[in-house]
Amino acid sequence: MDKFLSGLKVAAGIGGVVLWAASQFWGILLVLLALGIQMYQNFSRMDREDAVKKLKDLGMSAFYPAVGILAAILIGGLIMAFTGYDPIRAYGALFYGGLVKNWHISLLNATPLIFTGLSIAVAFKAGLFNIGAEGQYYVGSMIATWLAIRFSLPVGLYIPVIFLLAGLSAAAYNIIPTLLKIRTGAHEVVTTMMFAHIATKYSTIFVRNNGGDPATSKHAYVTDAIGESNWLLPLKSIIPGANYRVHIGVLLALTVAVFIWYLLYKTRIGYEIRAVGANKTAAKTQGINSGRTIMTAMLIAGFLCGISGTTQVLGLEHKMYENLNAGYGWNGISVALLAGNDPIGVIFAAILWGILDAGGQYMARTTQTPSAVVEIIKGIILFLILAKYLYFWFGHKLFKGRRKAARGEAA
Amino acid sequence: MEFVIELLSATMRLATPIALAAMGAAVCERSGIVNIAMEGLMLIGAFFAAAVALATGSPWLGLLGGIIFGGLFSLLHAWSTVTLHINHTVSGAIINILAAGLTRFFMVEFYGHPGSSDMVQKTLGDINCAVPLLSKIPLLGPVLFDQSPTVYFMYFFVFFTTFLLNRTKLGLHIRAAGEHPMALETLGISVRKIRYIGVLYSGLLCGFAGSFLAIEYGRFFTEGMTGGRGFIALAANVSGGWTAVGSFVAALFFGFIDALQLKLQVMGIFKIPPEFFHMLPYAATVIAVAGLVRRSRPPADSGNDFSIEKEM
Repeated sequence: MDKFLSGLKVAAGIGGVVLWAASQFWGILLVLLALGIQMYQNFSRMDREDAVKKLKDLGMSAFYPAVGILAAILIGGLIMAFTGYDPIRAYGALFYGGLVKNWHISLLNATPLIFTGLSIAVAFKAGLFNIGAEGQYYVGSMIATWLAIRFSLPVGLYIPVIFLLAGLSAAAYNIIPTLLKIRTGAHEVVTTMMFAHIATKYSTIFVRNNGGDPATSKHAYVTDAIGESNWLLPLKSIIPGANYRVHIGVLLALTVAVFIWYLLYKTRIGYEIRAVGANKTAAKTQGINSGRTIMTAMLIAGFLCGISGTTQVLGLEHKMYENLNAGYGWNGISVALLAGNDPIGVIFAAILWGILDAGGQYMARTTQTPSAVVEIIKGIILFLILAKYLYFWFGHKLFKGRRKAARGEAA
Repeated sequence: MEFVIELLSATMRLATPIALAAMGAAVCERSGIVNIAMEGLMLIGAFFAAAVALATGSPWLGLLGGIIFGGLFSLLHAWSTVTLHINHTVSGAIINILAAGLTRFFMVEFYGHPGSSDMVQKTLGDINCAVPLLSKIPLLGPVLFDQSPTVYFMYFFVFFTTFLLNRTKLGLHIRAAGEHPMALETLGISVRKIRYIGVLYSGLLCGFAGSFLAIEYGRFFTEGMTGGRGFIALAANVSGGWTAVGSFVAALFFGFIDALQLKLQVMGIFKIPPEFFHMLPYAATVIAVAGLVRRSRPPADSGNDFSIEKEM
């Protein structure tokens, strides 16, 4: 049985990748199957007690996020009630919109966020804060748009090339800030942020030069559309009867998340990244070149942001807008923080953010509650989940009085 | 000559918000707290300055409102870093996100739409007070002493912050909290309290800087109007070696680049898209940080969490 499963796993993994490379989208299902078998095997090899313990750990790691989210929803409701909106109706619309009516928009929102969240998580693991993810996202989008407008090769062949080039350019955009960090110690928060502003400013010029010039073009502030052969496959062309715009980018995002998890926890590079992030001096005594490791992490981070932009351009928008202001780079920071920089956690965090965004828009449309409420709820969720100490602090404040009273009785 | 005076005068004016925030950052980091929340604090300050000025019609009350709300919001950063022991950078990032969300929410609440607020009728920029006699000095006079009142406030804060840090007992405590907090704690002085004061000081100055953007430099509040100035101020503080005077000088450099790009745009000598000019201040920031950072030493304990329990 075990041998059979292992064989199936390997066959599914290799076959899936081959099929997927031949732009047969369902190959990815086989890859996911292989991963599922791997997880099953991991659990079945463990003792019963170990398995229970591991599941308990998983449950505990979901506890703080759950409490934080519930408390944030409560506080958000209070804010709405105070400012004269009906929180129950608003929340009803929010969750109906995000989970039922527009669930596919939630997924569409989550797709680029998974990539940018991973990018920031990888950098965090190396002890760096890639706050300028937005800039790398723009670079990726621009390169992808530029390539996709100009050239097209036979079906499916060209798309991986675009992904690769756009990702590499975005990675290259990180080289200067990282070199400055390594050589002079210039803080990456300042430098990558400045690079992000430069890239967003440049995108305006880019859009104008690629068919969005208001003086000459019919469609101002938007680039020319890219050819249909360069679009990512929408799911509706595979699943009959589906009428939504979700594309295979979401599956790509999930695969990449699993890959990044593998990279961080099962490979030498990942080990070095985590070692440098945890303690630079200790890493050095192990013979790890911290400069090179930091560079690797930042290049991976840039690459991930680049393919985030590419997925969005090829999969959903098929063109690039000026002043799009989608903020996937900025939101990626929240997603990574929320997930505690865990690649698998990033998936859930991104989906939660996607649901809140999609639901927030539905809420604004149907109940006239400003969607900015959702931004505040997001901020509070982050705060409550990161401030783990908050719970001790509250406990201390709450129980101090009682303890004092108990001591008084004893005396 | 006319051109030089105009350029330098604009330099002073554009350096003001960056210098104010950078001096706040100097005090904050000297007390041991890294403050990347300044972008958000400035945004909150800008919003409330515009809102109060619109509601009361007085730009002075608007300035006061901006300062107070900037200070109040900074207490959240102090609470989360000092009391709740969250990583300083992470807390700063959350506060920036929260500030963007809050100002958007308030925009919809107060004015019924996101984006920009109504125009303020009378701004601080409209009040021009040339200092008698001094403003008659050739070159320096019009540049330094023919400005709006906020610029004079900025001069005052350069002196005040330097005095506070180097000549007062509180300043000594602030510096000790950033260099060797345990030593301060052994003397019976609460490191927490000192760090709260440091963050609050930067919050008040960021509120001031935000007010400047909304009701001196501009006439209304726009979402995201700070445009990275909080981070430029952070860079100015680092380049200036964590001192008030250094921050001021570095801010002058950024102000000069900003003034230069505006002038070049207007003159239209170079036939390139205006966005290239907009990029200049950001590029200059990268260069300044890269070139100057090695020569200055950060406060030893800045960015580290402090809790007595851990030290013992």
